[in-house]
Amino acid sequence: MAVDRRGFLKFVAGVSAGVMVTPIPWKLLDDASIWTQNWPWIPSNVDGATSYVSTVSKLCPSCVGMKVRLVGDRPVRILPDENHPLSKGGISPLAVAEAQMLYSPARVKRPLKRAADGAYVAISWEEADALLAEKLGAAKGSIACVSGDETGSINEVLSSLAVQAGSGNFYLMPTEAQPAAKALAAMGGKGQLGYDIENSDYVLAIGANVLETWGPVISTRAAYKAARPHGEDPAVQFVFAGPVQNSTAAGADQWVPIKAGTEGVFALGIAHLLIKAGATADAADFSAFKSLAEAYTPAKVAEITGTNADQLKAVAAALLKARTPLVVCGSDFGQGTGAGTVMAGIAVNMLLGGLNRKGGLKLLPVAEPVVSSAMSRAEMMDKDFVSYMSRINAGKEKAPKAMVFYEANPAYALPQATKMSEVLGQVSFKVTFTTFLDETAMLCDLVLPVPMGLERLDDVATPYGYGQALYCLARPVAPMPASVKPAGDYIVALAGKLGCSLGVSSWEEVLQAKAKAMDADWDSLMDGNVFTSDATVSANLSFAADLLAKSVNVKAQEGNFAVAPVFKLGIGTAKTAIPPYNNKLIRRWELQGNELYVAMNGATARKLGVMMHDKIVISNKSGSINARVNIFEGIMNDTITVLMGLGHTAFDQFSKGKGENVMQLLTVGFEAGTGLSVWNMAGVTISKA
Amino acid sequence: MADRHLHPANGNSASSQFGGAAPFFVGLVVALILGWWAFPQMLYSQKHQPVRFSHKVHMEGAGMECSSCHFLREDGSFAGLPTTESCAECHSEPLGSDPEEARFIEEYVNTGKEVEWLVYQKQPDNVFFSHAAHSMNSCNTCHDFTETELCSTCHPNVAETDEAPVYYENKLTKYSKQTMKMWRCEECHAHPEHYGTTRSSNACYVCHK
Repeated sequence: MAVDRRGFLKFVAGVSAGVMVTPIPWKLLDDASIWTQNWPWIPSNVDGATSYVSTVSKLCPSCVGMKVRLVGDRPVRILPDENHPLSKGGISPLAVAEAQMLYSPARVKRPLKRAADGAYVAISWEEADALLAEKLGAAKGSIACVSGDETGSINEVLSSLAVQAGSGNFYLMPTEAQPAAKALAAMGGKGQLGYDIENSDYVLAIGANVLETWGPVISTRAAYKAARPHGEDPAVQFVFAGPVQNSTAAGADQWVPIKAGTEGVFALGIAHLLIKAGATADAADFSAFKSLAEAYTPAKVAEITGTNADQLKAVAAALLKARTPLVVCGSDFGQGTGAGTVMAGIAVNMLLGGLNRKGGLKLLPVAEPVVSSAMSRAEMMDKDFVSYMSRINAGKEKAPKAMVFYEANPAYALPQATKMSEVLGQVSFKVTFTTFLDETAMLCDLVLPVPMGLERLDDVATPYGYGQALYCLARPVAPMPASVKPAGDYIVALAGKLGCSLGVSSWEEVLQAKAKAMDADWDSLMDGNVFTSDATVSANLSFAADLLAKSVNVKAQEGNFAVAPVFKLGIGTAKTAIPPYNNKLIRRWELQGNELYVAMNGATARKLGVMMHDKIVISNKSGSINARVNIFEGIMNDTITVLMGLGHTAFDQFSKGKGENVMQLLTVGFEAGTGLSVWNMAGVTISKA
Repeated sequence: MADRHLHPANGNSASSQFGGAAPFFVGLVVALILGWWAFPQMLYSQKHQPVRFSHKVHMEGAGMECSSCHFLREDGSFAGLPTTESCAECHSEPLGSDPEEARFIEEYVNTGKEVEWLVYQKQPDNVFFSHAAHSMNSCNTCHDFTETELCSTCHPNVAETDEAPVYYENKLTKYSKQTMKMWRCEECHAHPEHYGTTRSSNACYVCHK
């Protein structure tokens, strides 16, 4: 039978009708939509067994303990570690970002050398080795080393190198540990200051932003949390005195506004009231201190600090009433404070009988160096990098021929950052061991990539402020990229090439010796356990009243307004800039696009004749920054707050060019008596842009 | 004038009408055969597991259970398939005389290579599924499942098979034919009694994180 046109159309109609009751169109539609999810450029999970490894963060300044969740050999998530004393079930936003930071676009992937035209060229490690040995060999006798790692044994390796191949110029990037060490030494103490916040029933933080930036923040937050169970009366009172209602003030029971840089005076005001109430201390120069404190009457303290005399009296009375009160003195933004401030804080603790007692101020033992010729902790703490740079700038000291940076970013993170970069320019050869292409790396002749904390073996010894002697290891939990080298082993080998004898043959040997010196068990540490000790160093501290009298004086500042930098743990440090995932932590009126917002209260805004969102220029002799105005009432009069950690000129697209670097405004001064560099007070003038 | 007939003069109009509809029905039948029989044959390619594995031998012979190899770890995450290392706990040397066994030892155990098992019900990346929430502990709060019954609610029951089932791979999507679709999840998740008891909400974010 021939198929005519009509028959064919009937057949097609039959096929069409039939197809509609088969899976063909529906299944194809469904599969086509699934197929679009499998395009090869769409990222997909890589399977593997899940495991957890306990370690400690070398990126977060609070040295938080953490559990890393691995899928196969890849870290995918950072979790809190309940068993780590520096974590206790808490975690910091910086540590959380660490797994992502392994893939940061700012990571240095291979050794880089600055070419004649100023551009960076990738070189092999062999070329880098040869160049480094040649340059450092030529600079022998004039080498300075700068470390940005405050708690690691790498400092012993670097300081030994500086001593043997240089002129003893080893410096730590400035933190609060140095003024604290200086204060303790001046008062005749040994070891390291530890604040037993965990066992205190009344914590007075003068300046020290204990819940955000001061000391081992996450462990302090854990203590805060444990003492204040939800729905129950707080077992511990927290009081914060400072210019800004920061995170600590927000969590505290009481915020006592005082001007930035007047923390020491406030502490002496407390001492005055305590002595008046009969407090005493067993120190040779108590009477000298008593007469010093005599002058700091509530009225005088109120005048200098801008606080209310009644509030001061109430705080002193509460301290006297508490069983285990503790006073923590420091800087609002974790640096730049003077030794005088810390000394005043120690003095108050002495009057409260809080020395080496539970819930008090402890003098913790510090292990002896394990590397030949390495500086002791006390010697390291005595070295003042900002002061050294200032001396070079003033021509009082020759710039070294070579500078070695280890995870340090002075070109961004020092006060008067631009000036400091210029001083660095006087050094003819600079090399940095860094994970990220930061501002300092951009100034260096040679950039050597080092693994991140998750990829290397490293250590943490008692972070400043923690209440117990502690030692733990950061263990390599992720495979190290082929083109980076761990700095510990590299510098040990480099020292050998330069003819220096460090007395150790490998980095692991350094750590093993350090563990032994701390009385810790190496195998247990390698299993992820943390060594802690309740040991304290006994001491008869003096008040160092003469020195305190000189150092605690508040100098008049330039301009009519004060700058109070605000440091937040999530925003990033000089070492990390802002982890991309943490950009969401920046609030709406802290940064808009690339424009920085600074905050002031309504009275200050009226005085300046500005309104919310107005453009202003904040300047002083150190520099100037442009910003817009945000109004926030939790700030003292005549004070503006500026978020730290912004205004990077290096790193990646998530940090570079966003906002301004407040360090530009912080002017270095020198503390009377101790000679320590300080920059916790900055006066500025403000004008409408 | 001659009569003009619209229909054949023999008057067999019914037959003519049926013949007229025949192509339609032929087309319909062709489409049905194509759609229900040929199309699935064309859409899926057949694959076989790289190593012959008998669940029956392990369960009946060695007295093992599903969870002996496919267990939940201490942290609640699902181990999935055993690694070569865990197989080697028993199979470090060939057990029996099966040449496949000897090949497994030689190719995988001795080299440490993982077997690229074909997983019949692997979910795509956009689905979050936790075996921990679908365990004996949680489901047996109300039900009285044996382990095999519970597992085979979703997975093919291979407990008594000597040969691994053929793996049908969708040529378009590259997923297994047996990959569960949303409606299978919803059989329990949208069940009112389940919701009342387990709070296993049917909200999108429960599975799509």
